[in-house]
Amino acid sequence: MANGYDAIIIGGGHNGLVAAAYLARAGKRVVVLERRPLIGGAAVSEQVFPGFTFSVFSYVVSLLRPEIIRDLELPKHGLHVLPLPSTITPLTNGDYLGSWDDPDKTRRDLSRHSPRDAEATVEFGQLMHHMAMAVRPILGMIPPDPTSLSPGDLLGLLKLSKHFRSLGSKHFHALYKLMTMSSADYLDEWFEFDALKATKSASGIIGTFLGPRSPGTAYVLLHHYMGEIDGAFRAWGFAKGGTGAISNAIGRAATALGATIRTGAAVTQVIVKHGRAVGVALENGDEISAPIVVSGLDPRRTFIDLVDSKDLPDDLLQAIRRFKFRGSSGKVNLALSELPNFTCMPGRGPHLRGAISMSPSLDYLEQAYDDAKYGSFSRKPYMDIVVPSMIDPGMAPPGKHVMSVFVQYAPYNITGGWDEQKREAFGDAVVNTIAEHAPNLKQAIIGRQVLTPADIERITGLSEGNIFAGELALHQLFFFRPAAGWAKYTTPIRGYYQCGAGTHPGGGIMGASGRLAALSILHGA
Amino acid sequence: MATSYDAIVIGGGTNGLVTATVLAKAGKRVVVLEANDAVGGGQRALEFAPGFRADPVAPDAGWISPAVAAARGLRIDDLDLVWPEVSAPAPEGGMLTLSRDVAKTQEAIRRFSAKDAERWPAFTARVHRIAEFLGLLYGAPAPDVDTTSLGELFKLAGLGLKLRGLGKTEMIELLRNVPMAVDEFLDEWFESDLLKALIGTGGVNNLQQGPRSGGTTFVLLHHHVGNPEGAIRTRPVPRAGMGLLTSRLLELARGAGVEIRTGASVQSILVRTDTATGVVLTSGEEVGGRAVISSADPFRTLLVLLDPVHLDPELIHAVRQIKFRGVAAKVLLALDGLPDGGSSLGGIVSVAPSLTYVEKASDHAKYGRWSPEPWIEIRVPTVISPADAPAGKHAMVVHAQYAPYHLRDRDWSAERERFGDAVVATLERAIPGLAARIQSRTVLTPKDLESRYGYTEGAISQGELTLDQILFMRPVAGWARYQMPVPGLFLCGAGTHPGGGITGGSGLLAAREVLGRKA
Repeated sequence: MANGYDAIIIGGGHNGLVAAAYLARAGKRVVVLERRPLIGGAAVSEQVFPGFTFSVFSYVVSLLRPEIIRDLELPKHGLHVLPLPSTITPLTNGDYLGSWDDPDKTRRDLSRHSPRDAEATVEFGQLMHHMAMAVRPILGMIPPDPTSLSPGDLLGLLKLSKHFRSLGSKHFHALYKLMTMSSADYLDEWFEFDALKATKSASGIIGTFLGPRSPGTAYVLLHHYMGEIDGAFRAWGFAKGGTGAISNAIGRAATALGATIRTGAAVTQVIVKHGRAVGVALENGDEISAPIVVSGLDPRRTFIDLVDSKDLPDDLLQAIRRFKFRGSSGKVNLALSELPNFTCMPGRGPHLRGAISMSPSLDYLEQAYDDAKYGSFSRKPYMDIVVPSMIDPGMAPPGKHVMSVFVQYAPYNITGGWDEQKREAFGDAVVNTIAEHAPNLKQAIIGRQVLTPADIERITGLSEGNIFAGELALHQLFFFRPAAGWAKYTTPIRGYYQCGAGTHPGGGIMGASGRLAALSILHGA
Repeated sequence: MATSYDAIVIGGGTNGLVTATVLAKAGKRVVVLEANDAVGGGQRALEFAPGFRADPVAPDAGWISPAVAAARGLRIDDLDLVWPEVSAPAPEGGMLTLSRDVAKTQEAIRRFSAKDAERWPAFTARVHRIAEFLGLLYGAPAPDVDTTSLGELFKLAGLGLKLRGLGKTEMIELLRNVPMAVDEFLDEWFESDLLKALIGTGGVNNLQQGPRSGGTTFVLLHHHVGNPEGAIRTRPVPRAGMGLLTSRLLELARGAGVEIRTGASVQSILVRTDTATGVVLTSGEEVGGRAVISSADPFRTLLVLLDPVHLDPELIHAVRQIKFRGVAAKVLLALDGLPDGGSSLGGIVSVAPSLTYVEKASDHAKYGRWSPEPWIEIRVPTVISPADAPAGKHAMVVHAQYAPYHLRDRDWSAERERFGDAVVATLERAIPGLAARIQSRTVLTPKDLESRYGYTEGAISQGELTLDQILFMRPVAGWARYQMPVPGLFLCGAGTHPGGGITGGSGLLAAREVLGRKA
């Protein structure tokens, strides 16, 4: 085992790459080991059909922490985010609801449906901005351990309570409501137009196995608002070249800082000697040693698959076994010979440069959830549709297009398990539902890739296909992520760390877990 | 105005009587105004068929904390409380019965799952420890979390220390469990669907949500505060029947000098120069008082009895946002006898074969429909209090959920008996032979509970016990200390912290607040 690394990062997902870059920046000799032939994890761009490039899994970006972009000089390494300027929701009556990068246009559009909501939306936006600002410092904070009496933890708790008190009553109460309510109830307090509530609440269900009327979803709503505060009015966007370009930019930054990235290097085991991590074993039999081993994989892989359970205390193992993944979303990637023609907004309008949300009503989303609750995929699913080739023509051959459809719900634990037949039936349900609003879609499809949660798990390694590496439920956040007492990126095995989205603050292409993990390692070491 | 009191208490239910008694014991001149012709819980009893009487809304004594008992001079021992057994009929036949006796319950569970039986003692211990902490929280006004006052900060720090004092595991489990869905919580412990349904229905009691919704574990734990270890999913009742509690409360109130006026329905709260000065009865009579304390729910008190013109628009908005959402109907059955002699009907029988069954029942409520296969819970109070039915006969009270107050495109007046039929059909499936025993039936939908008892939206909870509506958020953020923005006006009902099931808890804390302000 002759090599000279200070740290091994298991998994070349964006968090692993961020951790590698920060460690390398601090002078550590780092190697990233990625099982697949390309880096990125769930943030990859692949040519699924000749000439058609897809952001296969994760497809939009907004949550990437600005300090990471700055520290790692990502624009210099090729990161270029193109704005996603709008969202339209086709309605059942043939009309649409639009939200645009021009706030006046948005208000005018909304007034057609509800003048009252058009008014309320301004104040709501301000409140959510404040809420996101209130939570922002927590995203950049290593969670204190409330059960510990160490000075550091007490200080952390004190700082936290001071922070909350500094918000003032009104904002504190609003934040408390966001943490505990359902997104539907929360939005009911503000708005009356059903399609508006449904479209807004949709971001509260993404990646969870909950319906919009389930408490806990209002927090997920806030989680998705987080990115909006750092950029312009509408900070959701595409990376030029797909989300894989983000991973590649971080990878280049890490390499420039001295890190080594090895693809096709699947780690099977972390080698532990005398309670201390000393290296990893690869699938091909190689062993690589280093005094620091950092897992970018999800908590189940980090604690159950990669290490021997005898090296871990029972309470941690129990906590990880009951950590909820419950993947609930799928992805359908379509190669199109022509643009979809939506009946609610015919032709090649500006709406095709933005998102199209299939969320006509709260009941629609709730019924989609009901199907999944009892073990089926939604016959009429919630979908978030984008056509990246409209903004980034390089994604498809000239005149042709790629369409990315995020679909919910598709439960990992579908009755009888996923198979070829169910996957295609799921793909049909997706295409048929869109085709009701864009009748030319079916004839335009040249290629169709359907990814169920089982596929997401198989390809990316995310347990149960959960896109956040573990549900963003209240009891799985902050000092509970992934387990009480082990939320500071360390593990009971000395030298073994965690840096994936299964740690605070969790999922989305945020990179915060990777950065905080690296900081935690550097300060602790 | 002919008479003037130090305090007028609106409503003669448990919380109203506790407030009145505590104030009277402090030397105040107090009157309780009750719209019905009885008080103390008795105001709710209903003769629903000739010779058949039942109280449809207060099935148990709840938790009478030592502080509440002491404040009004109640000796808890005198009540001789028992914790009735709770049973669930198994779809394959037979019953699963939980009793306070841990070993006996383990034996009962073993028939369904040996693994679950093994886990039972640890489960009851865990629930007990966590409920004990909630009990601490319920003995004081809700902590003011966003305070800057030093006294409040000390109280908060004290709570934090008590929380840590629970032990590391319990503290983590408390924080982790409270926001969880009750089905997830129980999945961590048990495998038997019947057992999980029997316990888990305690997490959705009077809640529009189903057992897969977050926060339902909190509701389950809330309803265990004050229970002795081992007593799961049951609440105390006096061995001699609920009538004993009612009469003791009344005696103590009268003994303390409280004047009780029945048949005195309050129409509005009088406000002069921005201060509550009394009430007007439906008869037109005015009653003056230096404090007006309402045990009615916050919506009724602030937006119906009070002219909202006295309130800030933001508070009005907040009160309108309180989620009441009555979702249960009460079906009263006059029975000419009990099947199998009633051996299994001395306690509580909960009909729900699995939490999936309950979740499916709740789905209907989401879309404004009643459940054709509801979760039902049965009590036969006449097993203990035979005087409430003619000799040899029985009155049965059925809690039937989900039956939402707001039906979509339908009206309860047309749906009432159809739902009653669905309840009886469910009952007959669980206890074959029962339907034939029914002499008469009275269905009280949430609409009926509202019109008969004044509960907004028929919610006997006076506001759902969801995480966003408890502690400093109950009844609304910023107004959790019983005193309302109109000086002299207070709330003391279950719509305030700590809420329903904590008998007299709100009443005592409200009375202390009144005394504190007046001192």
